[in-house]
Amino acid sequence: MIVGGGPAGLTAAWDLARAGVAPIVLEKDSYVGGISRTVQYKGYRFDIGGHRFFTKVDQVNDWWMDVLKDEFLLRPRLSRIFYNDVFFDYPLKPVSALRSLGIIEAGLVGMSYLKAQLFPHPEEANLEQWVSNRFGYRLYSIFFKTYTEKVWGMKCTEIGADWAAQRIKNLDLKAAVKSMFISNRGSKKQQITTLIEQFHYPKFGPGQMWEKVRDLLGESGHPVQMGHDAQVIHMDGRRVVAVTAVDRDGNRVRHEGEHFISTMPIRELIQAMDPPPPPEVLAAANSLRYRDFLTVGLVVNKDKLFPDNWIYIHSDKVKVGRIQNFGNWSPFMIPEEGRSCIGLEYFVQEGDELWSAKDEDLIELGKKETDTLGLINAADVVDGVVIRQPKAYPVYDGVYKDSLATLKEYLQSVGNLHCVGRNGLHRYNNQDHSMLTAMYAAENILGKAKHDVWEVNLEEEYHEEKATDAKGATGERLVPQRVTLSPVQVLEDAFAKYDPVALGAAMAVVFGLGLFLATAILVVKGGPHMGTHLSLLNNYIPGYSVTWPGAFVGLILGAVGGFLNGWTMAVAINAVVTIHLSRLLKRLDNPAPYETMDLEV
Amino acid sequence: MSADDSFTNKEWQVIGRAIARLRASVMAVVFAMLGGGVLFLATAVLVVNATEGMPVGPTLSLLNNYFPGYSVTWPGAFIGLVYGAIVGGAAGYLLSYVYNLVVETRHPHMKKG
Ligand SMILES: Cc1cc2nc3c(=O)[nH]c(=O)nc-3n(C[C@H](O)[C@H](O)[C@H](O)COP(=O)(O)OP(=O)(O)OC[C@H]3O[C@@H](n4cnc5c(N)ncnc54)[C@H](O)[C@@H]3O)c2cc1C
Repeated sequence: MIVGGGPAGLTAAWDLARAGVAPIVLEKDSYVGGISRTVQYKGYRFDIGGHRFFTKVDQVNDWWMDVLKDEFLLRPRLSRIFYNDVFFDYPLKPVSALRSLGIIEAGLVGMSYLKAQLFPHPEEANLEQWVSNRFGYRLYSIFFKTYTEKVWGMKCTEIGADWAAQRIKNLDLKAAVKSMFISNRGSKKQQITTLIEQFHYPKFGPGQMWEKVRDLLGESGHPVQMGHDAQVIHMDGRRVVAVTAVDRDGNRVRHEGEHFISTMPIRELIQAMDPPPPPEVLAAANSLRYRDFLTVGLVVNKDKLFPDNWIYIHSDKVKVGRIQNFGNWSPFMIPEEGRSCIGLEYFVQEGDELWSAKDEDLIELGKKETDTLGLINAADVVDGVVIRQPKAYPVYDGVYKDSLATLKEYLQSVGNLHCVGRNGLHRYNNQDHSMLTAMYAAENILGKAKHDVWEVNLEEEYHEEKATDAKGATGERLVPQRVTLSPVQVLEDAFAKYDPVALGAAMAVVFGLGLFLATAILVVKGGPHMGTHLSLLNNYIPGYSVTWPGAFVGLILGAVGGFLNGWTMAVAINAVVTIHLSRLLKRLDNPAPYETMDLEV
Repeated sequence: MSADDSFTNKEWQVIGRAIARLRASVMAVVFAMLGGGVLFLATAVLVVNATEGMPVGPTLSLLNNYFPGYSVTWPGAFIGLVYGAIVGGAAGYLLSYVYNLVVETRHPHMKKG
């Protein structure tokens, strides 16, 4: 029994069918391919986000080639960033980026970079601080801020710095500049980069791959059960015994089986179990979150709109995040000459304003926004369609790791249940890793191996990231986490002590330098009564005078005085903080009566 | 609730050992406000209390050795506000910059923030 006719479900089914096992695939929708489907509208084809076939896993690559053979096209990749009516190569190329920015903006970018190098933000808790410390605030605000905020629906100041550190690992401007002069052609890195400059793509979109597998399964006597929504997972202790699906006519069909492969989102899988799993498992499943996705497909009465496969929209004047030009993915996506089909991608939350808007309104919005951007004339748009994709991205928030650990432990204890795929494992897998987990599950069922599917894509670095590090950051693969401060961190901040030596040194510099400068300015100016007032300081600083030697005496003794001042201040503040902290500790040990009262009724 | 319920001893130790950082931008703004404010007020008080025929703030006006254009007058009060803010801001920034630098050198194991 396989729940889901997406890449993972169909891969497992086809591998099992070829090994002589009879799989039953239940697919709730009327199409196969899941997120990797290709939607057809009046002969025009639209992907959910444009799917490159790109992997470093040979097993997956061979599988693809085996199924689609010469139906694969090798396509050039062009993607750019659109900002302030100007295109920037993406991945970023420093020279062309600076050229596109123009002299003034490039100068400002340079100055803000310099400022970041000289006076970096002392804290690096969030994405904004992390990125602007490395690239300067200006470059950050052009290339990172708006797009990241659109994709994740959170402010960059709310996104943890860890995410940026992972995503933009070794990228720094110095390395980028160096890479422009030192060729690494022929190296592994170069080979991977070449792969990123072009990619495989089925003639009729990714959906063609999955429709082909559906047909192969049908021909081998295992047709995919379309329109069958698996709603109840019948459990007997730690075993799945059957799945009840509801078909389009509302009929309930119970399927029994020996092994169950699930590609449905873990949250839904757990909720469908009967009897329900332990409460902590249910709670963990309920805490999983997803980000949803909406494409407004437009048919445009014009060809050659722009040469890109897709464009990142960094303007905050519009809501659209990315624009796909499907004709550039494959000319076969368009049935009529002289026309284009484009997909405007909006990153949304199921039920939010955009998600719930009427299709006509969304199409109007799409027309208006592409017109505003100056990319397409609204009058050239002849038709449109809206495609909604719930649960496009599993979200890695502050709690997901703990929840997933609980869920994994439980799900692994259900001996004949095999969770695979993207939402099936709540992992940010592309098709290749979604498929690999399915291949592993099939091998486990066939008794050929004992793979741990949960380990797939856990340690491996996605080589697209590795390879493009030297040039630019993609900012789209990993999922950011909200910055959360633990109570320990909060208290650390509140009760942090001042370092007396550091405060002493800082005051020493300010006082010493201040007195030196004040004296030196007067000495340089000269004049008969110059410095009569300032020299009164020698009442406190023996040997001080408004002369050059006096300036140095002032520097040294001012520094000594400053140090003592700063040191004493820090010690005094620390003493007060310590008293406060120990009082608090005492109160926590012997709570006052009102603190023990249960206020929840 | 007792202390042990919420934090382990180790966590309390961590809290007890935390070293504060200064936010350069915040310090610069605070010192700038202080510097500008104090100089403005000092000048304004002297201008308001000026007595006919007597020189107004002869000592304070010596500051124009450092701040060209400054004088103990109403326009001078505003010029002093700007100068005071600039010098105060620079001092605040320098103070926290040096402080954080020394803290980082002395406690390299402590994370930022
Ligand atoms: C915007 C975007 C861009 C992407 N770009 C790429 C790319 O360029 N290259 C790439 O390789 N990958 C890309 N991916 C990732 C790729 O789409 C996924 O890895 C892949 O589709 C996951 O396959 P799956 O079978 O695990 O899940 P899904 O594709 O989600 O398929 C699951 C299937 O299960 C069905 N199902 C769910 N619940 C039930 C139920 N209760 N009963 C019956 N059926 C059910 C669903 O209808 C669906 O058909 C992208 C993803 C997104 C969101």
